[in-house]
Amino acid sequence: MPQPGNLRLFRQGPSVEVRLVLLLVLSLALVIVDAHWSVLAPLRNAISVAIYPFQRTVMAPREALDFFDSWSHSASTVRAEQDAIRRQRIEMAQLSTHAAQLVAENEQLRRLLGVAEATARQSIAVEVFYVPPNVFSHRLIFNKGSDDGIEAGMPVIDEGGVVGQIVRVTPFTSEAALLIDDSISIPVQVLRNGLRLIAFGSDEAGRIEVRYLADHADVEEGDMLITSGIGGLFPAGLSVGRILKIERDSGTGFGRAIAEPLSHPERYRHFLVLSIEKASPPTSQEPGHAAE
Amino acid sequence: MPQNKPAHLSHRSSLARLQPVDEAAFGRSMPGWVVWGTLLLVWMASLLPWRLWQPVPDLLLLFLVYWCLHEPSRVGLTTAFVFGLLMDVHDTGLLGLQALGYVLAAYGVELLRRRLLRFPAVVQMLHILPVLVLAMLVPHLLGAWLQGAWAGWGWLWSVLMTVALWPLLDIVMSLPVRQSGAGEAGPV
Repeated sequence: MPQPGNLRLFRQGPSVEVRLVLLLVLSLALVIVDAHWSVLAPLRNAISVAIYPFQRTVMAPREALDFFDSWSHSASTVRAEQDAIRRQRIEMAQLSTHAAQLVAENEQLRRLLGVAEATARQSIAVEVFYVPPNVFSHRLIFNKGSDDGIEAGMPVIDEGGVVGQIVRVTPFTSEAALLIDDSISIPVQVLRNGLRLIAFGSDEAGRIEVRYLADHADVEEGDMLITSGIGGLFPAGLSVGRILKIERDSGTGFGRAIAEPLSHPERYRHFLVLSIEKASPPTSQEPGHAAE
Repeated sequence: MPQNKPAHLSHRSSLARLQPVDEAAFGRSMPGWVVWGTLLLVWMASLLPWRLWQPVPDLLLLFLVYWCLHEPSRVGLTTAFVFGLLMDVHDTGLLGLQALGYVLAAYGVELLRRRLLRFPAVVQMLHILPVLVLAMLVPHLLGAWLQGAWAGWGWLWSVLMTVALWPLLDIVMSLPVRQSGAGEAGPV
């Protein structure tokens, strides 16, 4: 209740209008700078790290619930998984002997051709920390960051293939843009004939697209797109998507192909981030524009 | 500015004769921990995944606007800006976009405060609706322009839901004041 000590006759500080103008200018400047340049990354990182303890706190009940849930269902889950794995193992056994044979043959051919040896990549298993509620982009936040060796630019995969690419990291979290996000472009090739293309996020929900398709380009519906390995960020041979339809525009002479991604980031919580060696990617590349 | 007025007046003060005509506007003073506590709680709740469904109300905006109206000495444009920036980082949006919307909403309420405080909550709701719609429209237009895609009208539902919660919040927030019997603090 009113106390003499609290008595304030005049509003302190600048007037409302002055503060409005200052804050408007500040936020507009932030928005525009952030949309075009990456100079605000340290600020974003600092805030991100500052709010991380709060994020962890509010997510804690959910994590506890998940833990309890998986613990209580562990017996049946393990049995189901074991069955699946047993079945997979039988299928894989055949494939792996075949693959080993192919690897040996491939290495030999590479040596013959003098092509650089494909290196085995380290991978980091991550779990989805949260899905940011952002209508403009398709992102996932993972629970590991630069402390675990994740860097911007690294590809993210699941069992279906490429999921996306890490675009921002803080010490404890990392942010991945999904394949369907506007900011992602991936060098791909058509599995059937090796045609090299670049896939982008699409305006159509949940789709990726190949733009500027030359009129005579040999792309058909149902073609599989795999990463071509050009650009050095994405390893070659990961599946990306399947072509659903091709729209050819005789006016411009270019067409575009719409593809559905083969990975399912919305279904799982665990993903793999593939490490990339620092030296291999060209230095001019920015995260999110890996293929340009 | 003419609205430079004392926020609290002691009867011992020689300025007692400057008691405002309508005391209702000053009758509801919340302790600071309630203001900051609710803001912190609502902000933390906003970090949870329920906001993935676009039409859900923006509780943080609701509380910010509410405290801008009733506790202008504590919560104002700067608070709105800071919370907006925190949400921008959490939502991985453009830095400052949500902050812009929150600042505009806070300013709108600040502008209408003297008028709003004379009305019951339902009428306040009618005033706050256009303020929030306009305040949220600006960042959505700006975002659409900078990112090259219009994100749809889902946010309008969110604003409507937010405003619909206003009378409820008013009732809830006036409960503790009523119980402590501090002055005539009925539904303002």
